[in-house]
Amino acid sequence: MTASSPHPREMLHELVDGRLRGEERAGVEQHLAACPACRQELEVLRATKQASARMFAPEAPPSDLVSRLRAALDDEDRLRAGPRRAWRRRAPFIYATLAAVLAAGVWVLIRPAPVPADVSRDYAEYRAGRLPLERLTADAAALNAFFAQRNLGFPSRVFDLGMMGYRLVGGRVHHVGREPSAFFVYQGPAGQVLLCEMYEGVPPAGTEDRLHDGIIFHVHRRGHTTLVFWQEGDVACVLVSDIAPEEVVQLAFAKAMKPPAPPASDPR
Amino acid sequence: MSGSSRDPGADLRTRFEEVALPLLGPLYGAAVRMTDRERAADLVQETCLRAYRTFANFTPGTNAKAWLFTIMYSVFVNTYRKARREPTVVSLDELEARFDRTLDVPDATGLVEILRNPELDWKGSEADQALQRLPEEFRLAVLLVDVEELSYEEAAAVAHCPMGTLRSRLFRGRKMLWLELQDYARKRGYVKGGREGK
Repeated sequence: MTASSPHPREMLHELVDGRLRGEERAGVEQHLAACPACRQELEVLRATKQASARMFAPEAPPSDLVSRLRAALDDEDRLRAGPRRAWRRRAPFIYATLAAVLAAGVWVLIRPAPVPADVSRDYAEYRAGRLPLERLTADAAALNAFFAQRNLGFPSRVFDLGMMGYRLVGGRVHHVGREPSAFFVYQGPAGQVLLCEMYEGVPPAGTEDRLHDGIIFHVHRRGHTTLVFWQEGDVACVLVSDIAPEEVVQLAFAKAMKPPAPPASDPR
Repeated sequence: MSGSSRDPGADLRTRFEEVALPLLGPLYGAAVRMTDRERAADLVQETCLRAYRTFANFTPGTNAKAWLFTIMYSVFVNTYRKARREPTVVSLDELEARFDRTLDVPDATGLVEILRNPELDWKGSEADQALQRLPEEFRLAVLLVDVEELSYEEAAAVAHCPMGTLRSRLFRGRKMLWLELQDYARKRGYVKGGREGK
């Protein structure tokens, strides 16, 4: 690379960051030796990087942050340990309460699960920061491996929405009704949030049903949220978002897996 | 004391504090620049709480700072960002042209020397404002790579974007910051001369 070759402008940043090695580095240095304009730019980039490190260096947090954090962690520890200890102290009362709750519980167990309301609430809870993701990754295979480790009882199928401008954020094991679910989230370029859940079961009939590519999509609307359910084998899938309803439907159309075609008769 | 008699919960808490507490400064510094001083401490506390809940999944020996920053950015995007934003539109040609013009002016070398002078106090609200004027994605890239010294790969994971996107945001962010610092240096009287035309 010489002074007459194109200015390696992006590589100047990489040089500043110590990322160039071997021939690449030698080529850029050869160009720099003969090109005052690139030398000037390199000095500017170095000085800017150094200035950032100095001006925006980590600073001491407020003096009470550590004590506040420890108090919050104590609360978290109590929440984790609480039920076991409380059980020993309050067992008689708990037995009585359990009996009273049992009848109501039976009704809760046998009533039809309001799945759309359940999933819509999950979406709102996640948006409000109350459903943290357990595994943060943009890699669909890594998230499928995470769900496989957690033994959901069915194979998850985390898909890639990169072509549509949505990137995978991560996932958690959750539940829809009483079924464990693979709960995973995508984020759009303007911060739009798209939730997908997969669980063993049958999708609830929609307020609007759409047929596309041999698959029935059940569309629900709850406030500003659109839910699109479909079936893949034994697994029900739902895509949820507060983006334009038709966009949710089209994303579901694009990503739903078509059921395998019945075996064709052998012409031979 | 035998290992089996230890309380696993207490052990987890101790290990978590060993990992997270030394990183409160970097987390707080970045939180201030992503939100403001009033909300930064809350953002850090929420980040640490979520990290604690999933600490069992953290692999010892991996980059704890990158892990905590990933959680913090996720909390920030989901709960602290003021409103849903439209994607930042930056005219690349215009930025490059402005940046190139500043390289040609005589005081560019002077500013480089000034930026490197460790005796000058560059900290302060005006310097923060120079950074705040960068679009959020560009500001984050500069903070993660130039201040927190994360690799491009780690910074891309934190920002949930492909590495090429991260590089592009970082490179543009540096050029924007240089332009802002020029203005800042002129206001402080460190360099003379008119404002570079926008």
